[in-house]
Amino acid sequence: MKRATPFLLITPALLVLGLFAVSLFSFIGISFLKQDPGGASFGGPLSLDNYAKAIGSEYVRHVAFQTFMLAVKVTALAILLGFPLAYVLARSPSPLVRNTILFGLVATFLSGGVTRAYAWMLILGNKGVVNSILSGLGLPALPLINNEFAVIVSVLNFAMPFFVLTLFGTLQAIPVSLEHAARNLGASRTRVFLEVTWPLALPGLVAASSLVFAIGLAAFLFPELLGGGKVHVSATSIYQKIQTDYDLPSAAALSVLFLALTFAVFAFFGLVQRSFARRVQKRQQAAPERLPQAQPA
Amino acid sequence: MSNYTHPYTAGVSVAAGVALFFTVAPVLLILLYAFSPTSYLSFPPTGVTLKWFSNFFANTRFQNALWNSLGIAAIVTPISLAIALPTAVAIVRHEFTGKKLLLGALLSPLLIPGVITGIAFLSFAVSVGIGTGFRAIVLAMICFTLPFSLRPLVANLHGVDHDLEKAARNLGAGPIEAFFRVTLPQLKPGLIAGAVFAFVEAIDNFAITAFLTDVKTSTLPIEAFGYIRDFDDPTVAAMASVLIALSVVLVFLIERVVGLDRFLANR
Repeated sequence: MKRATPFLLITPALLVLGLFAVSLFSFIGISFLKQDPGGASFGGPLSLDNYAKAIGSEYVRHVAFQTFMLAVKVTALAILLGFPLAYVLARSPSPLVRNTILFGLVATFLSGGVTRAYAWMLILGNKGVVNSILSGLGLPALPLINNEFAVIVSVLNFAMPFFVLTLFGTLQAIPVSLEHAARNLGASRTRVFLEVTWPLALPGLVAASSLVFAIGLAAFLFPELLGGGKVHVSATSIYQKIQTDYDLPSAAALSVLFLALTFAVFAFFGLVQRSFARRVQKRQQAAPERLPQAQPA
Repeated sequence: MSNYTHPYTAGVSVAAGVALFFTVAPVLLILLYAFSPTSYLSFPPTGVTLKWFSNFFANTRFQNALWNSLGIAAIVTPISLAIALPTAVAIVRHEFTGKKLLLGALLSPLLIPGVITGIAFLSFAVSVGIGTGFRAIVLAMICFTLPFSLRPLVANLHGVDHDLEKAARNLGAGPIEAFFRVTLPQLKPGLIAGAVFAFVEAIDNFAITAFLTDVKTSTLPIEAFGYIRDFDDPTVAAMASVLIALSVVLVFLIERVVGLDRFLANR
């Protein structure tokens, strides 16, 4: 009875997982079949033709590279913009500041993707907010929409609450007393940040960054609405294979390759995170010898 | 006064301010645009109107989509929570082989790009004969929202003292009674966080749902997407404002019931 309990408890979850796995694997199975030319059906014999075609295609390789780079750019910008915000949220002495930031982030997070994609169309559009301000100042209009810039800005905006709220948890867990102790011992602000805060924040930073990276890789709505058909990423190219070419087997093969890319990136993030976690552990073990015991703030 | 009472420089405050403005500006703009009397943006606003809201509520396609979205979220949220709760108990309170693997597999829908999940469910729904539409979307959203409701519950349960439940058992309560009367009340923050995440993700999902809607069954994000492509007026801004208002009400409720900090600490 005791041994059976956990399995009873996870049975519903296993059913859901089973449903998910069956869908995913039957879809993957389609990638080995062939679309009947001009028909709506597909069939055997099994082959790797779709994969060979996809990997051999310069367009597919270009799209994969562009998807990867989009995720890299969005993640780099999220760290640059999000770190200070998460830091202020974790450390501000003013409850008003903290609550304003929290409220803004949570309300934005809950307001959804389509809403914000639409907002960026209004901001960046050719007659949008930015360009009407520019023309009001007598300046020439800028091409801000239907390009990679618009996609980066909107995906970054969508990812910000995820990034800041994830990193905030880690920053909050770092004892302020460690930073105070280092300051007491005469370290400059910069040095305290680089030698105390940054290394302790790294595991959380990697977690937050990998979340943003996943959002960047998977981006679909934003390239569709703000890319103007000019920004081709993996998700949009798979969608196109189905909607325009009616080629489900090719779309399935592209999806498998896309999944492989996603999982490779996450295996890498997992490795980095584990090595940082080990380093932090070592540091914390060494800390009592190097730093005087700080009084809790 | 020591010089470290203020933990960061003015430069950091400015950077944080810029980041916050960048994050919330689109939401503020949508609210402004929804009440704009003109179908283009003008600064300063020339007046206030509610006509885009009545446009939204009078549009039968939006009405159908609204009821579908609310219906899907209302079915998906309790089911997702009901599956996540026993799973969280098994993961936190029991030892069994393959636990790490199970947790990883359960969280994987967060990493798998939505387009792929969407097509996978489409081919599944077609092959088993339930076809596209309401039922297919509900099934897909249960799978997709499960990790969102599971994560806060697991985090919450880690922080609940198991000894209290054991004490209740010693005092003669059955295992189920002890769980429901001692542990469950302490899981309120996790349940609320899980419910909010599942509800919002089910309503807002685009990438998966885009493959599962059909002529009869559409959802708000899909309708909004179509409308944005065909028309150039603030009706979608009005729709977005309704959703933002709903989310602000949710935020206030969370703050009242569990406190925003605790809600987020459980993510």
